[in-house]
Amino acid sequence: MNDDIACPGCDLIVNVSALQHGHNASCPRCGHFLTRMRNNSFDRIIAFALAGLIFLALSLFYPFLSFSSSGLESIMTLPQTPGTLWHYGMPEIALVVSAFIIVIPAIVLVMILSLCVPLRQRRHTSLLAPLARGIFTLQAWAMVEVFIIGVIVALTKIAAMATVVIGFSFWAYAIFAVCFIVSVANLDRYQCWQLIEALGVKS
Amino acid sequence: MSKAETGAGRGLATCHLCYKLAPVDLHRCPRCGTTLHLRKNDSIQRTLALLFTACLLYIPANMYPVMYTDQLGTETASTILGGVVLLINLDSIPVAAVIFMFSVMVPSGKLMAIFYLVWTAERHSRLNPRQRSIMYRITEFVGKWSMVDVFVVSILVTLVHLNGLLVIRPGIAALCFAGVVIVTMLAAESFDPRLIWDNMEDTNNDG
Repeated sequence: MNDDIACPGCDLIVNVSALQHGHNASCPRCGHFLTRMRNNSFDRIIAFALAGLIFLALSLFYPFLSFSSSGLESIMTLPQTPGTLWHYGMPEIALVVSAFIIVIPAIVLVMILSLCVPLRQRRHTSLLAPLARGIFTLQAWAMVEVFIIGVIVALTKIAAMATVVIGFSFWAYAIFAVCFIVSVANLDRYQCWQLIEALGVKS
Repeated sequence: MSKAETGAGRGLATCHLCYKLAPVDLHRCPRCGTTLHLRKNDSIQRTLALLFTACLLYIPANMYPVMYTDQLGTETASTILGGVVLLINLDSIPVAAVIFMFSVMVPSGKLMAIFYLVWTAERHSRLNPRQRSIMYRITEFVGKWSMVDVFVVSILVTLVHLNGLLVIRPGIAALCFAGVVIVTMLAAESFDPRLIWDNMEDTNNDG
């Protein structure tokens, strides 16, 4: 197996064959992160992806936030967000928001599961390469952590006008966000492709 | 210092998806099937085109209201900067700082940073390549964080519709701002950071 990488940040040829488990490699010239060697990372990736999907599903059905002012109360759930934006004549934002916070993260997690379960068993299937391509293309467009900060800012803005109660769904979504970030962060692009290639050669 | 050995120098292209190093004449990555290029296609032109699009969208994103608050029949429109001022008046300085940072500083800083990177790459500058690489990585990293404001408006609009008492409606600037964020992310993606370093090799480049 050829262990040369050309750094994606500056094209310098770097050999990563001496990399030990648990160590990271960055480009000596421009500092671009290259790869991280980890043991048993597939167990961790699969566990967090599965937990993330469960908590995302839970967060869709319960109150996300509720708010009361002068005796009137309104409760919002997560799927109402795109619906309301659509109703106010902003279908584009409705689509963008639901894609960034629900649809793309969910697709990425499902793809991670479909990729990592066979990889963990060292099983080669023809779907491995397209799945990996999909994951590494889409993951830049998942914005779960940004949405959490957005909720906190919105709460601060509204706190002056009324009493806001944080619902179960918000906590479920926050746990999902953590699971999503951990799962994606543990999937190393270079190691993942090296393994896919090695399995393809063997089969 | 000895000449740095690069992939392009050996006629090898890095697959941008799977980092496979393969001869560029193969045209397709032997591992994942993506088209191979020594450098991203028309990187400078594409980045500039997207950058100008983002700048154009940036004007209405700041001029027009991002949301309307309708309290007992009186409607107030608030722009992004107006929202920051409101938060300062409510004494939530940290949150105001966060919003100012993500909605004002980051988008405008990002546009300037990408423009600077393109300009220096185009002029074959050899100034601080490592700093410019770091600048590029920061630009890539903060890309999605400017979406915060769009999410804030989405949540407020959904949460607050107490018929007649208090209603919050989204404004057109929210759409422009989402556009700015997406187009700027695409601009950062289409810039090839390897252009920063390409001029380090040809030491006799006088013109």
